[in-house]
Amino acid sequence: MSVLHRTEWRAVGTNCAAAVTADPDDEREVSWALGAAREEVAACEGELSRFDPASDLSRLNAADGRWTPVGRRLLEALDLALRAREETGGRFDPTVLPALAAAGYDRSFELLEEREARWADDWRAGTAIELDVRNGCARLEPGSSVDLGGIGKGYAAGCALEAMLGVSQTLAGGLVDLGGDVAVRGESPEGGPWLVAVADPRRAGETLAVLALDSGGVATSGRDARRFGPARSLHHLIDPETGEPALAGPLTVTVVAPDPAAAEVHATTLAIAGLGEAEAHVSSRPRISALYVPQAGPAVTLGALPVVSQRLVVRAA
Amino acid sequence: MQRIWVVVLSVWAMLAIVAVLAWSSHPMVSLPTSAAQTMVVKGHGGKQRLVVLKAPIHATTATSAAVNR
Repeated sequence: MSVLHRTEWRAVGTNCAAAVTADPDDEREVSWALGAAREEVAACEGELSRFDPASDLSRLNAADGRWTPVGRRLLEALDLALRAREETGGRFDPTVLPALAAAGYDRSFELLEEREARWADDWRAGTAIELDVRNGCARLEPGSSVDLGGIGKGYAAGCALEAMLGVSQTLAGGLVDLGGDVAVRGESPEGGPWLVAVADPRRAGETLAVLALDSGGVATSGRDARRFGPARSLHHLIDPETGEPALAGPLTVTVVAPDPAAAEVHATTLAIAGLGEAEAHVSSRPRISALYVPQAGPAVTLGALPVVSQRLVVRAA
Repeated sequence: MQRIWVVVLSVWAMLAIVAVLAWSSHPMVSLPTSAAQTMVVKGHGGKQRLVVLKAPIHATTATSAAVNR
């Protein structure tokens, strides 16, 4: 009989967990696997964090347009981000950092101080990012800088899951959860799908729906958390068209996708989209589905969301 | 004779209701049978209902909250 082995820790600015399905006697493999997950998350944070001045991303952001040697993980994450910007027509943009920092989100969230928001007048979307994969270097357009917050967490969750399950073939399945960015693969300890609850953003501690996944990723983005500025009136979701915190969009949106980085990209994109735009976005992408919680009114499912319980929410017309 | 017609119509009505419910519902995912768990979920119009899950929740997704390190 398989059981769930789990570890929890704090990293990437949030609560993290990793779990594997394994035989109770596989203690050594389980210990290595869970350790591999934690090490991989730490390695990703060391390359992708914009709050660590020694990280590869911080060095790249400070290089003022010069080619900078960076690690494999940052190159892969930047490549994913560039593809995502193209795939979403610029609605997802990793170069919104100057606008985000100008609004006041310029340091790790728990260190933010209340101050008046400013807008980045000279900021523009879609600035260039060049990658030299062969030589392990990257370069940003002068004056530009990158934030990989969401997609970085999704990417790290996927890498940690691969590292964990790659330790031994005796591990039947696993889950990595980085503050709500969830990656799953293989069997749950009960032998069926992994069950992921979607927290109700309007009522702390309550669940809005339960999703069942065999493999893939889940991510939630929204304006219910990480608020800052005067009277916590600002949120971190920058609209690339305006360079300011988005006005349109849901309270939260949860996306299921083939991998957690893709789930983050589409959650971030839908988090600044009205319901009509969100419906069109999901209907043109059959591999993703979403639970859209508007700022008022019932939640709406978009696409073939793998909801366990029936009629918890309203389906889109 | 009238009683027979009432029974036949009742059966047809019940079948129609079952068909409508099946057509309008989300596809169900079969769950393993161990470790039943109850939880409160929100339904139409914000009404709360109790759901019995036959397996534990493995993770929760939400907008990630910052933690003090």
